[in-house]
Amino acid sequence: MQKKEIFDLIVKHAIEVLPELEEYQFQYSDTLIKLGANSLDRSEIVMMTLQALSLNVPLLELAKATNMGELADILQQRYSR
Amino acid sequence: MTIAVTGIGITTSIGQGREEFTQSLFAGMHKFSVLKREGRQLPDDLEHDFAPFIGAEISELRYPDDLSSKQLRTLSWSGRVAAVTAREAWQNANLDSVDGHRVGLILSGSNFQQREQAVMHRQLHGNETFTRPAYGISFMDTDVAGFCCEYLGVHGFSCSTGGASASGQFALINAINFLESGSLDACIVLGMLTDLSHWELQALRSAGALGSERFAKQPEYSARPFDKDRDGFIFGECCGALVIEKAAHASARQAKSLALITGWGTFIDGNRNPNPSLEGEKSAIRLALRQAGITASDIDYVNPHGTGSLLGDAIELEALAQSYLLHARINTTKSLLGHGLAAAGLVEVIVTIEQMIAGRLHPSRNLQKPLNDRFFWVKSQPEICKIKCALNLSLGFGGMNSAICITQ
Repeated sequence: MQKKEIFDLIVKHAIEVLPELEEYQFQYSDTLIKLGANSLDRSEIVMMTLQALSLNVPLLELAKATNMGELADILQQRYSR
Repeated sequence: MTIAVTGIGITTSIGQGREEFTQSLFAGMHKFSVLKREGRQLPDDLEHDFAPFIGAEISELRYPDDLSSKQLRTLSWSGRVAAVTAREAWQNANLDSVDGHRVGLILSGSNFQQREQAVMHRQLHGNETFTRPAYGISFMDTDVAGFCCEYLGVHGFSCSTGGASASGQFALINAINFLESGSLDACIVLGMLTDLSHWELQALRSAGALGSERFAKQPEYSARPFDKDRDGFIFGECCGALVIEKAAHASARQAKSLALITGWGTFIDGNRNPNPSLEGEKSAIRLALRQAGITASDIDYVNPHGTGSLLGDAIELEALAQSYLLHARINTTKSLLGHGLAAAGLVEVIVTIEQMIAGRLHPSRNLQKPLNDRFFWVKSQPEICKIKCALNLSLGFGGMNSAICITQ
């Protein structure tokens, strides 16, 4: 799966959790915090994405991502293993 | 101390909001049918000989514009109904004019979101690692309290008060205690929709508490408290909200008093089991009357607990008779709404107040052969009745008894 496809999945779930972002143009450099997601929102978005990818990964492993693009990178690496 | 009721919110299967609800109430409407909400029936792939569960469900909940889909996403069904209902009571009482630090919010009941959990378990079976982080907060009943406090701006105090099927009244009495102690000026009490799943329904059926095998094919006849053909309680979704404050506080801020709560009594049987106690019920009634400074002869109307249980209804009528209340008018709210469990006690206080305000008594459904003909039953037609003093009873498993006196 390409990074862009994984990024789009993160965006899809970010919009589900934060419907006010529906028209927003997401960039790899965006951070969920700056987009208004609190800690619970962020863990929800990540968990929904993990389920969509059937990836059984503890959330802690994803914590080093500093923006949405890096999160997509880490998920892609895990997905490709 | 006299406690004033200054706001009411109500959501039931027969109507949302005071106006729609009271119209349906006096018209004797009902919505009993086979339960349809997800997780309420035994799984489709399970072979069994049981009849489907019957009850009364809210068909469509209308949300106010200031509740966003983001806010609602992780809020349970009980929480959604509570938020809408609490808002109505809040606006009804004009509580925006009271400092939120002096306002409390108390929920009734415990473990009232069971169906949500049953649905989640079914959806995530085999995928347990993907359990939503939000569930870590929402499985606690007080998540609903947190939501409502944030939504309405409550900063005084908040908690939940459990007391089985007497939870609604127990929460109200708890709220009164906060007003009496001086720690709050006003309190909103929420009678919580108890969201049963097939797990609780099946257990209650097996325990002999839940009907209706007898009317499995005629749900409209299933809810029949105090009737000789009753076969257990019938579940009903409902939620009530009451704003209470000291009468002096209400009068100082020129809030309209809808009713006064003048007496309340509780009695704990010291008995874990579900069986009723004649002495416990009589004690709660006696304590409430004594605190109100009245005698049984002053009571014009009784809103009983009456669930439709075989033993419970009979014992309750005996308790009322032995408390010298045979002269009072009496009807059965659960014959229209079903049994709301944690909500029931508060919803029935609201029904009592609405009847006092309207000067009318709502009809009872399916009361064709009353268990005891010595009582002054309101049967299939509403009646005009000026009520000066009313008594409201609530009884719960585990020896919980409570009674409340209400005047206008």
